[in-house]
Amino acid sequence: MDLLWTISTTLLLCSLLSILWKEFDRRRNRSCYLLDFVCYKPSDDRKLSSELCSDIIVRNKRLSVPDYKFLLKVVVNSGISEETYGPRSIIEGREECPTHDDCVDEVDDCMYRTLDELFLRTGISPIDVDVLVVNVSMFAPSPSLTSRIVNRYRMREDVKNFSLVGMGCSASPIAIDLVNNIFETRKRTLAVVVTSESIAPNWYCGTDKSMMLGNCLFRSGGCSFMLTNDPSLKHRAKMNLKCLVRAHIGANDDAYGCAIQKEDDEGRVGFHLSKSLPKAAVRAFAENLQRLAPKVLPMGELALYVLRGFRHRLWRSKEAKTDAATAARVNFKSGVDHFCLHTGGAAVIDAVGRALGLTNYDMEPARMTLHRWGNTSASSLWYVLGYMEAKKRLRRKDRVLMLSFGAGFKCNSCLWEVLRDLNDGGAWDDCIRAYPPQTLDNPFIEKFGWVKEA
Amino acid sequence: MRAVPLPRFLSSVKLGYLNVVNHLLAFPIIPVMVAVLLQVLELGPDELIAHWRSLGIDTIHALCTIFTVVVVATAYFMSRPRPVYLVDHACFRPPRTFRVPFATFFEHASLVPFFDEKSVRFQVRILESSGLGEETCLPLANRYIPPCPSTEAACAEARLVIFSAIDELIAKTGLKPRDVDILVVNCSLFSPTPSLSAMIVNKYKMRSNIMSFNLSGMGCSAGLISIDLARSLLQAHPNSYALVVSTEIITPNFYAGNQRSMLLPNCLFRMGAAAVLLSNSRREEDRAKYRLLHVVRTHEGADDRAYRCVYEEEDGEGNSGINLSKELMTVAAEALRANITAVGSLVLPVTEQLRFLASLVARRLLGARGGKPYIPDFKRAFEHLCIHAGGRAVIDELQRSLGLPAALVEASRMTLHRFGNTSSSSLWYELAYIEAKGRMRRGDRVWMIGFGSGFKCNSAVWRCLRAPKAPVDGPWSDCIHRYPVHVPEMVKLL
Repeated sequence: MDLLWTISTTLLLCSLLSILWKEFDRRRNRSCYLLDFVCYKPSDDRKLSSELCSDIIVRNKRLSVPDYKFLLKVVVNSGISEETYGPRSIIEGREECPTHDDCVDEVDDCMYRTLDELFLRTGISPIDVDVLVVNVSMFAPSPSLTSRIVNRYRMREDVKNFSLVGMGCSASPIAIDLVNNIFETRKRTLAVVVTSESIAPNWYCGTDKSMMLGNCLFRSGGCSFMLTNDPSLKHRAKMNLKCLVRAHIGANDDAYGCAIQKEDDEGRVGFHLSKSLPKAAVRAFAENLQRLAPKVLPMGELALYVLRGFRHRLWRSKEAKTDAATAARVNFKSGVDHFCLHTGGAAVIDAVGRALGLTNYDMEPARMTLHRWGNTSASSLWYVLGYMEAKKRLRRKDRVLMLSFGAGFKCNSCLWEVLRDLNDGGAWDDCIRAYPPQTLDNPFIEKFGWVKEA
Repeated sequence: MRAVPLPRFLSSVKLGYLNVVNHLLAFPIIPVMVAVLLQVLELGPDELIAHWRSLGIDTIHALCTIFTVVVVATAYFMSRPRPVYLVDHACFRPPRTFRVPFATFFEHASLVPFFDEKSVRFQVRILESSGLGEETCLPLANRYIPPCPSTEAACAEARLVIFSAIDELIAKTGLKPRDVDILVVNCSLFSPTPSLSAMIVNKYKMRSNIMSFNLSGMGCSAGLISIDLARSLLQAHPNSYALVVSTEIITPNFYAGNQRSMLLPNCLFRMGAAAVLLSNSRREEDRAKYRLLHVVRTHEGADDRAYRCVYEEEDGEGNSGINLSKELMTVAAEALRANITAVGSLVLPVTEQLRFLASLVARRLLGARGGKPYIPDFKRAFEHLCIHAGGRAVIDELQRSLGLPAALVEASRMTLHRFGNTSSSSLWYELAYIEAKGRMRRGDRVWMIGFGSGFKCNSAVWRCLRAPKAPVDGPWSDCIHRYPVHVPEMVKLL
């Protein structure tokens, strides 16, 4: 009898322990660690000074003088420095007729240089990569960019590769979401993500103002990063993903059409940015924050927010406050230490900073990234992160929020926790000491000062 | 950290070994249980009751044991990944006004200013022996003289094919667009910004927290890549619905040059789209048509020859097109061999696997004296086969190398005849053919094989849960009575 009791108790304990272990193991595999990231630094012969930009603009004989003035004004007031990079085909005068090779070379240079360095720094061989994701929004050759990488690095035949295209400037969190979901179904998996944008085939050569902004603001850039859910690599990882929120308001027609690739009246393809873009951005932003706040804010701040909401509703006539202002009173800084904002433009950074109640110190990484690298689309978040790391701001247990907007219209965000003190210079290594500069003003403002008089 | 990839031969041995190890418990337990059962049956009922009483188990004890067993069993079954069901699928039905009979194709090729006479004749010769019929469809923009492949025309084609397929799927399943949690769209050769997935979200007013992904550039096998992605997402999100849309937009891909290796896509690619609803919700178990058993992906891109056999580039005059190399058949056969080695270990009966392994070992050790390579009898593992209708040569090659009877490749040949090469959606047209013919039975297994640029070979294995009731409404509704047709080696036009 005693033996039977012992046996049955042991069985019960073993079964309970195995259930607990399964649950613990499942949660362990849910982790998504960022092992490392490498931002792309093109060669110096691809730098686009304001002077060079002006020459390129003038090459388009279809433009009238008011158009030149408008474009130069955009360039001069963009907050972009003389150090940003453009594709070789545009610098060499082939912006209106880039060859397929021009486009492929532009993306290859970014992908291969960053991947070479990533594999070198992490010491991990390409053969060990299980998942490969590439996102380049506006260029999709056959075979895909993922196949180009598989070929070059001789990856395994069972590598799961995904080529995300057309997903806009907010594609980085989308790629992370894809990898994170695969991590939930597979143990000890290693993923490499490459994010970049293709500018060469997308130069707009018409006269529609709403489509010319893209020409002025987008710059060459990219990033490769490595993710894993292998707990044995945790000690080498830089950050751990805590949560990810995607908001897609494409159901609204205005939001869908506010940033869209289409033909102008003369049949030339360009990327149209409409006047309703800021409104769509605000809506998507609010949608994202609503779902992000409970995951990011500490309990105290959430309780305060709820109480303020009640008070606002009860005393509505006495307090005529807008939604944006209410949002500003939610103190995101209570749950987040660093903010990686998408460098869509100076106005975007300022607007988002105001909405979140951020100081100049908080917005400095994004502003400096816009200044040094321009709008590099989906990879801009990584340059901002690189700035923070180069400035030695990232300390163990700090929380970093990445926030980006993109065509569709989407607002995607993800929260990371820093696992150890970080101090790599990365792509900022050679210039971080010069930042922040005394002034962000364009040095050619005097030369092109006449545009302000127009 | 991880091993260097094994040569193919050792991969098969490793897979066999893994199978044995994975089911290691089954090997000793089954004989033991059989022996115990025989012993128990030998005893009479009285003796059994006497044995039971002698153990002195009281009620509480018995209850505890039963409780333990129930808890463990529940936890085990709940922790297993939920099955992925295919609720239903729908294909785009091209209107008759889009038809391009051979004579129309020839006339158009002769009238446009790009092609020299040799190129026109070459394209017609390809068409004559392509296995395509007279009812395949091209978008209107490609039929203008000259074609006008604008972004607007491409978007119009995308809206037509994709929305038709989704509308039909909604009508068949009663799906509410706001219930879609996951959206995966693949279209290889047309990728606007915002993506086609954003276009679908906009049209059907889907939720703001939808997980949408847009894959592009991934070739004709991208349909199964999308299924694989949807499956991974469903496994991470219980009780969800995934809408997978596979298509190829033909409008922007008209090749306007004279290089022969780049003229083939003009001749073979045709309009098509498919929308598939997947779910892992328990509610759908009652009406789902199929259950997804396996997805196996193989990427041969590490081999330069395979990588370059389907390659987008510019010809000498700057015209962009897809270059198909002469080694395509060989590369396809090798990619298939790699893929079926992996699939075979998952689906073939043990006897077939052992025979295949033995043949492999013999050939390895004894060389050619080891005998001819044993081709596993895949008819024992599948009742139906859907091979990507890439072209007649591909289907012929596969039929030959796998030793398949004509009946198993009929769906592929007839789809190629009626719809042409619709790229990633062709597998769904083939499945619709098998259903329309009333051949699908409950319990039947379907093997889908897709090939594409990269070079990739992807497979999916489905089990039929519910045979569709005849007459089946689908892209074959108006013409299934005419099929199968005999497709001659050559249809002479000129």
